[in-house]
Amino acid sequence: MDALHYFAMSWLSPELLALTALGTFLGIYVGAIPGLSVTMAVSILISFTFSWDVNYALCLMVGVYMGGVYGGSRTAILLNIPGAPSAIATALDGYPLAKKGLAGEAIGLSTVMSVVGGFVGIIVLAIAAPPISEFAITFQPRDYMLLGILGIMLVGSLSGSSLARGIFAGALGLLIGTVGLDPMTAEERFTFGVVELWDGINPVAVMIGMFGISEALHQLHHMNKAVVKQKISRIIPKWSDVKKYMPLSLQTSFIGVIVGALPGTGGDIAALMAYDHAKRVTKNPKVPFGEGAKEGLIAPEAANNAAVGGAYIPMLTLGIPGDAVTAVFIGALFIHGLNPGPLLLIEQPHMFWFTVGNLTLANIFVLIFGLTGIRLFSKIVECPKGVLIPLIFLLSIVGAYAINNAITDIWWMLAFGVFGYFMRLYGFPVGPVILGVILSSLTDENWRRAILTERGSVSDLFINMLQSPLSAVLFSVIVLILVSKTPIWKKVFKPKIKS
Amino acid sequence: MSSHPPLVQTRKPGESSFCFLLVMGSLYLFWQAYKISGFSELSSPGAFPLAASATMVLASCIVFINTLKRPAAEGVRFVYHCFPPIVATIMALILIYSVVLESLGFILSSFAFLFITIQFLYRRSVLTTLSITLLALVVVYTVFRLVFQVVLPEGIVPEREILSSIKSLWR
Repeated sequence: MDALHYFAMSWLSPELLALTALGTFLGIYVGAIPGLSVTMAVSILISFTFSWDVNYALCLMVGVYMGGVYGGSRTAILLNIPGAPSAIATALDGYPLAKKGLAGEAIGLSTVMSVVGGFVGIIVLAIAAPPISEFAITFQPRDYMLLGILGIMLVGSLSGSSLARGIFAGALGLLIGTVGLDPMTAEERFTFGVVELWDGINPVAVMIGMFGISEALHQLHHMNKAVVKQKISRIIPKWSDVKKYMPLSLQTSFIGVIVGALPGTGGDIAALMAYDHAKRVTKNPKVPFGEGAKEGLIAPEAANNAAVGGAYIPMLTLGIPGDAVTAVFIGALFIHGLNPGPLLLIEQPHMFWFTVGNLTLANIFVLIFGLTGIRLFSKIVECPKGVLIPLIFLLSIVGAYAINNAITDIWWMLAFGVFGYFMRLYGFPVGPVILGVILSSLTDENWRRAILTERGSVSDLFINMLQSPLSAVLFSVIVLILVSKTPIWKKVFKPKIKS
Repeated sequence: MSSHPPLVQTRKPGESSFCFLLVMGSLYLFWQAYKISGFSELSSPGAFPLAASATMVLASCIVFINTLKRPAAEGVRFVYHCFPPIVATIMALILIYSVVLESLGFILSSFAFLFITIQFLYRRSVLTTLSITLLALVVVYTVFRLVFQVVLPEGIVPEREILSSIKSLWR
């Protein structure tokens, strides 16, 4: 009964309800603007909410977090500029839908599926937080490495018609991710003696350049083409569509929760893995992936919102942040005199149930604000190209600058924008570059930790990998995916499957 | 479409040079990766970059050879179809904008950039361009500078003084 009381606390208090609504509304727009990250917004909020009552502060921050993760999809769909790294996979099929005049439907569907994902994350947090967090901490470096490899294999899905070009782009991304001081030994890697490169190249600068700038430069080829009118008569998705995509949405939501619960991974990796999963399980999509497949839109959206609930699991139960935003949340809780970790559930269970209730409320606000602002948002793409393209450039440049208040990020963003322009021109996919950048440190660091644990012996690494049930499962999945790509598999099994 | 650009069966002008540059760039990066810690240990800081750059070398070589095998596209010129003057002009404008952003400041440089590019691409009356530019600038400035407190380059405009004098008026 106490749990229910604390769960409903933010629902029944008008102030808490209003603060959650305000936070969610702000979060959606923070998430939608490239360069403004949820982490940054939550950090700013800490600076002026530290004197508030903890519940008030949490309501605002939870709303921003939930809204921000969802908001990234808006600009990804409308302008091909993911507002946040977690919306990268959304752009792959969301933007082609907007180009066909279906932005309204795409945003409507992504909103509903984001909310479904959000609820799955919250339900898992509420009923299975302790076992999931115990499972998450059993992950060894080799398991993280295998997870990274599993993600890298997504290159196959993002490569389009030329696998070699996709592999090149993916490897380039992995290499970009290694630039800077090595986090384990502080050795310089690809810094060329430039101090500004010690911190590496910001993935957001790469993302804005490769997606936003290169796409806007490409649009200059088609200045005379008429602007596509957006069909916004239908915003709330058809019930048949919701029913049809629900199983996929639930599957990818669970992927999102698990990946979100792993310390060091977040919504971006969850969304990419969900996209890959959707591509594998959807045998005959109505529209091919990458050209506006709805499956490719809903899978990452459900997963990245489910990852929010997932990220809270290790934070509330172990005191370990699931991602960058929950790391900031831990700081906020400390400021308010709370100690997130195993004792929180025992000593202050009300905080746990208050957070669960507040997350649920914020998720409902995502649905409300998500479905009401679509008409206005969709108008953005109907703006004449002569006005829209300069605005995209301005937003990209200011967004890149806002990451670290550094002009260097603008240079990187522009360099990747121009390079991305030529890559697109000559048939190279840009998606794998971003994939590589995101997965680089996860794979690199954990490969090295894993091999160091085995004192440099690759054979020992393999033996231990096969002896651990978790590693063995992950390894088998990788092998199975690799084998399924070989010509022998296609020759032997595909005809059987068809018959 | 966004992620999978269609691979045409003919070779575009400049494509073989681009692919050749990728091979050379990959080889250079491989050399740089080797310089980190050589082929010393699998757990060395250079191991992962070496593997990634070696993959780049291999993949770029395959792409280069495949590109050379394809026939060149007829009637397609680099300056018209691949790098038209409009793209080159806009790239130059962005470059100038980025260079002067810090010295001139956000407000002046962004105003000039927006005004010139909108006038160049949209081709409407000066008054229309001016109104769009001002509106866009006010929105971006309000969101980034005033709401989210992002410190944008001040340059020659004494923004902070102006903002504090406006604030003092309210007080």
